[in-house]
Amino acid sequence: MTEQRALPKGQGEERIIVREPGPAERSPASAAARRRTLELGLAITVPVVLIGLWQTASDQGWIDARLYPSPTTIVANGWDLALDGKLWPDVWATTRRVVLGFLLGTGIGVLLGLVMGTSRTVRAALEPLLDALYVVPKLALLPIFLNMFGLGEGPQLALVAATVFFFVWISTMSAFLAVPEGYREAGTVFGAGRWQMFRHVLLPGALPQILVGTRIAAGVSVLVIVASEFVAATEGLGYLIFNSRALFQNDVMYVGIVCVAVLGVIFSEIIRFLGRRLTPWAPDDRDRVRT
Amino acid sequence: MRLPVFVPIIATMALAVGACGGGGAVSADTPREVRPITPVEGCGPTAWSDPSNLAPDREPARCKPGAPAPKPLAKKTKITVSSSTGSAEFVATLRLGIAKGEFAKENLDVDFKQLGVADSIPLLAKGDLDAMWSAPEAAFFNGLQQKFELRWVLGNYSSNPESKSGLWARAPKGTAPGSIQLGNAQVGTLIGKGSVITYPMSQVLGRHGTDLKKVRFTSLTGPADTVTALENGGVDAAWVVDPVWKQVEGNPGVHFLGGQPLGEPLGGMIYGPGMLRTNPDAGVAFVRALVRIVNTYFDGDYKKNTAFVGEVASSLGLKPESLTAVPAPVWDWEIRKGTTDRLQRAFVDGGALGKAVPESEAVDRTFYAEAVGHKP
Repeated sequence: MTEQRALPKGQGEERIIVREPGPAERSPASAAARRRTLELGLAITVPVVLIGLWQTASDQGWIDARLYPSPTTIVANGWDLALDGKLWPDVWATTRRVVLGFLLGTGIGVLLGLVMGTSRTVRAALEPLLDALYVVPKLALLPIFLNMFGLGEGPQLALVAATVFFFVWISTMSAFLAVPEGYREAGTVFGAGRWQMFRHVLLPGALPQILVGTRIAAGVSVLVIVASEFVAATEGLGYLIFNSRALFQNDVMYVGIVCVAVLGVIFSEIIRFLGRRLTPWAPDDRDRVRT
Repeated sequence: MRLPVFVPIIATMALAVGACGGGGAVSADTPREVRPITPVEGCGPTAWSDPSNLAPDREPARCKPGAPAPKPLAKKTKITVSSSTGSAEFVATLRLGIAKGEFAKENLDVDFKQLGVADSIPLLAKGDLDAMWSAPEAAFFNGLQQKFELRWVLGNYSSNPESKSGLWARAPKGTAPGSIQLGNAQVGTLIGKGSVITYPMSQVLGRHGTDLKKVRFTSLTGPADTVTALENGGVDAAWVVDPVWKQVEGNPGVHFLGGQPLGEPLGGMIYGPGMLRTNPDAGVAFVRALVRIVNTYFDGDYKKNTAFVGEVASSLGLKPESLTAVPAPVWDWEIRKGTTDRLQRAFVDGGALGKAVPESEAVDRTFYAEAVGHKP
């Protein structure tokens, strides 16, 4: 705690600054525990209160429950659809497209990002073209992918892969470019060869930022596949939402929306978990935000 | 004392929930007022046909041109009508009626909105839209299941016997269309399984050894895709709409298997609570104007009249050739008995509808009965 005290009148312009330790400094453990409790409380309370409010509004008739089904109705419908086996084919179709498209896009993105991040010539050759393609809305590429790959899974996978690719490519390239010169010099001083420089200096330095890119791409891949399934698919969660909206089955539509949200969270958390395991030396982004 | 950070967030969300929830939809349970029906000049016995007459060659109901005469509402009334397109031939009566001032003669100010069925039905149910010029699709029946006050009040047209809008299938040159068996064929479609086309499609599939559950549907993104997919083998069969079937007609490897049933309109006007309950006078006036437009302008083969085709094309924003390329539909404002049952059966079979509602909860013929002066 920092406090400024002005001297009484007539004692000149001199000021005394008093700095006293705050609770976090006096008792770091209990302050951290309080902070964790507050964060956990907020994380649980805000959604619970909002859902409770939604439920009450629906039960009390403040909103038309036929147009905005209550949370309990959505959960009950989701449960029924799951038990009937009607939900799983759509969940599986979307999950399969997201995972395969993500792996494909990430693989190509990392590879090209790595080459462009380490070779000035390749970067000069490809960067303007890729920059131009980057700004094209990926959903606008769907008709082209339909022409290229026909009516099967190909267009959906290509769309997810293309979306993921750009996020991963940019983050990989910039991550390699951003490895501090001091690290490289240290590697050189220790006599590292090209492979050793890559394995022990560049890769550990770039990996945390690459993984940030993949985590953003994971969220966007769910977003883009759902939009794509709206347009050209006969199964998947996007199709479920679009189709139930077209059929005016609001209850099913909300089940689809909740499933997409859950899928997005799970997929992003899996990527985050894998990222932490791959880069134990990197600070957790949540901790970084906290500090 | 400082409020915790989540309090204003929750308060904001609460206000938002309250704001979007205002004005719930009207329930269909409350009975509506019965309106008197009086004879109408120019609309005699030919202005009505028995709804149970399903003969494919039935003459559609007609009044004399210019009948029924306008009965302007006491005060100018604005109504909002939606349709999924503003340029297809099935909206010609509506667009031409606006252009020729037929609705203005009823003191109606018609605001036309281009809006898909999926967007229109919730707005219609809430009363934000007054009417929808489209078809009783699965969304309409699902709305009825949820006790929204919606009714199919007017037919639009039935197919011309010469039209080949319908299911086309690939088969080797020289194959007799009647012998084509579709089995688990891949069927391309522009429409979802909730479209009224599901009903005639189920009929045609039934005649070719399969049904809605056996075939595999593939979504196509536009009419041009339908032709491409059919011709390059991307699909085994596809529902081809007007006037796109002209592009595949003559291809020896593609055969027409059947289309919309003759003499049975599958679309028309759907009313919401605004017209059904709040202002039925406007509901009757709107129907009266549409019936008059059919009698005056759209009777018989109106496409022989080049000047009139030009007017219609202009109101739709089309080239006249695209209208004359296909035969004129048979404009028919009446709704056949059992059509909603047959539609719902197809929807249930196709998985677009859980259970059916009786026709009495889906159809209301009183608006056109009053417009033409027919007492049941």
